[in-house]
Amino acid sequence: MLKLYTISSTISFKNARKTLFSNSFNTIITLLIILFISVACFNTFEWLIFKANWKVVISNLPLYAFGSFPANEQWRPATWIISLLSLSIFTLWGPEWKWLRKNLLIVWVGTIPLGLYLLYGGLGLSPIMSRQWGGLTLTILLTVCSSLLSLPIGIVLALCRQSSLPMVQKLSSIFIDVMRAIPLIAVLFFGQLLIPLFLPVEIEIDRVWRAIFAFTLFVSAYIAEDIRGGLQSIPNTQIEAANSLGLNQYQIIQYILIPQALRIALPALTNQSIGLFQNTSLMAILGLVELLGIGRSILANPEFIGQYIEVYVWLACVYWIVCTIMAVLARHLEQRMTINQANF
Amino acid sequence: MRRLVSVIVGLAALSAGCATTNQDNSSRLNLIKNRNELICGVSGKIPGFSFLKSDGTYQGLDVDICKAFAAAIIGDSEKIQYRPLTAAERFTAIKTGEIDLLSRNTTFTLSRDSSGGNGLTFAPVVFHDGQGLMVKKESEISSLKDLANKSICVGSGTTTEQNINDAFESASLPYTPIKYQDLNQVVAGYLQGRCSAMTSDRSQLAAARSGFKNPKEHIILDDVLSKEPLAPASDGQDQKLADAMRWVVYSLISAEEQGITKSNIDKKVQIAKNNPQLKPLRRFLGIDGGLGEKIGLSNDFVVKVIKSTGNYGEIYERHLGQNSEVPIPRGQNELYKKGGVHISPPFN
Repeated sequence: MLKLYTISSTISFKNARKTLFSNSFNTIITLLIILFISVACFNTFEWLIFKANWKVVISNLPLYAFGSFPANEQWRPATWIISLLSLSIFTLWGPEWKWLRKNLLIVWVGTIPLGLYLLYGGLGLSPIMSRQWGGLTLTILLTVCSSLLSLPIGIVLALCRQSSLPMVQKLSSIFIDVMRAIPLIAVLFFGQLLIPLFLPVEIEIDRVWRAIFAFTLFVSAYIAEDIRGGLQSIPNTQIEAANSLGLNQYQIIQYILIPQALRIALPALTNQSIGLFQNTSLMAILGLVELLGIGRSILANPEFIGQYIEVYVWLACVYWIVCTIMAVLARHLEQRMTINQANF
Repeated sequence: MRRLVSVIVGLAALSAGCATTNQDNSSRLNLIKNRNELICGVSGKIPGFSFLKSDGTYQGLDVDICKAFAAAIIGDSEKIQYRPLTAAERFTAIKTGEIDLLSRNTTFTLSRDSSGGNGLTFAPVVFHDGQGLMVKKESEISSLKDLANKSICVGSGTTTEQNINDAFESASLPYTPIKYQDLNQVVAGYLQGRCSAMTSDRSQLAAARSGFKNPKEHIILDDVLSKEPLAPASDGQDQKLADAMRWVVYSLISAEEQGITKSNIDKKVQIAKNNPQLKPLRRFLGIDGGLGEKIGLSNDFVVKVIKSTGNYGEIYERHLGQNSEVPIPRGQNELYKKGGVHISPPFN
């Protein structure tokens, strides 16, 4: 009994009796809450196991994963998703080979051209148009492409906003403030509906890329502000010291400002990328059949009409799993960065 | 400053580019043939009309209409890219040329058809939707009159509510409306027995019913309270494509009028070829007359269309017929000979 009792844990048996069952009123409240929780749990599990008809999920698994990607080519997105997954596992628990660890960032970035190659085809693979992409593959692609593009743009915007050149500083401030003042869905509508109207007829930008473009514009403004926070927390004396060592402007940015600012901004950047992943579901309203969109299309199949709850519970699980992986990876990255800092 | 100048120059160049391309007036029909693929805008989320099967293919009445167009224009009903579109996107997608044509439960209205409005052109109506009533089979209600003094579940604040009121008032029948916020609640209220009938668009009633535990115990009445003619649409500037689409839809209806089906089309072609007396049939099947060429298609486009999708009645039976999963009584969608409104002008 004593072993259970630690200072940090307030829910030990001793405390429980003291706080939850101290008088009759508290006892009743506690019992009511326990009753409520157990009824809720019981009903949930009863529904999950006995009442729910999971056929709508099981017989459509390839659709959720790959959309209407041609069946005999589905190994391509599958390869990509599995490589991403195994890379995550390797990053978290893999061996500590120095040469590999050093190049891990390049490997991660390299998954994006790999994914695009596998999806688009060409060079030995049969070409597949982006309108056949869908499901989880499309959701992940939207997320990684938009975040990879918006990170450098965000860094440049943040540096521009700190710039001493008034024109550059004003332009980037205006861009950031405008983007932050417009709701994301409006930016996405702009990307899907207005961009094609502005462009001449021959130039046709794919709707997937228009979506990535809109997400990039929006997220880069937020990333710029996160990184500006990081930049501002670096004391001016460091820049003066660097100047006196004879480093030029670019060297100061490359070796002193950016690494520190990124480390400080990392938790905020994680937030942005998880938010971005969830926001891709807005594209379902705009006709892309990403994970949520494919769920809604499946629900229109007369065979599965009315099984909303099963589909949405399943989608929630998928979103939860992917977001959790992203969060764990980010925490891992944070830890490694602090270790590296300690080694300095 | 230099950046500002370059931005202005860039914008000017872009608008100049737009101006020149807008004058280019070649028909999309040629574009589709050259591309050897039809890009068809569908909904992808409407049971019976267009939805995604488990194997990743689209199916439904709207999808079959796309297939008929592809068979007529390209000669192959499988050479189609389906573009799922939301209601908000659909007209922009036509205007920008992202899709060739729209086959997506679009109601034919004046402001959508006119150049002062959305600037579209509609092909003939492929499905006459309209507000209907659903009742339980055991109640033995068979028409609007039987619903006198009964209660009806309806979504509040919609044209649906207005229409049901107008219908009962003009028939001077008393009834009790029971109002709900949205369709799901209306369905729930109806199933719980709070009303004798529920009302909504007939296609929606049928879709809702196919989700019921015992769909066979509910029937949709033949009475239709409002007009929702659903038709394929294309860009109003493009006369050639519009002509082709119009006559492809008419060919589906005309084939049903003449009893030409997917299974007997080859026989009919043989009969027409051997018998020069059957002039209307020979013209229809493209043996005489060269009708197809006049609308930019091959002369035997009707044969290709019927071979791939069957006639209108077959398409209807497949997706909305009695044995399909979303059964809707044909009612107005019958041929004019059988009391419906579908009629094809002559192929002359």
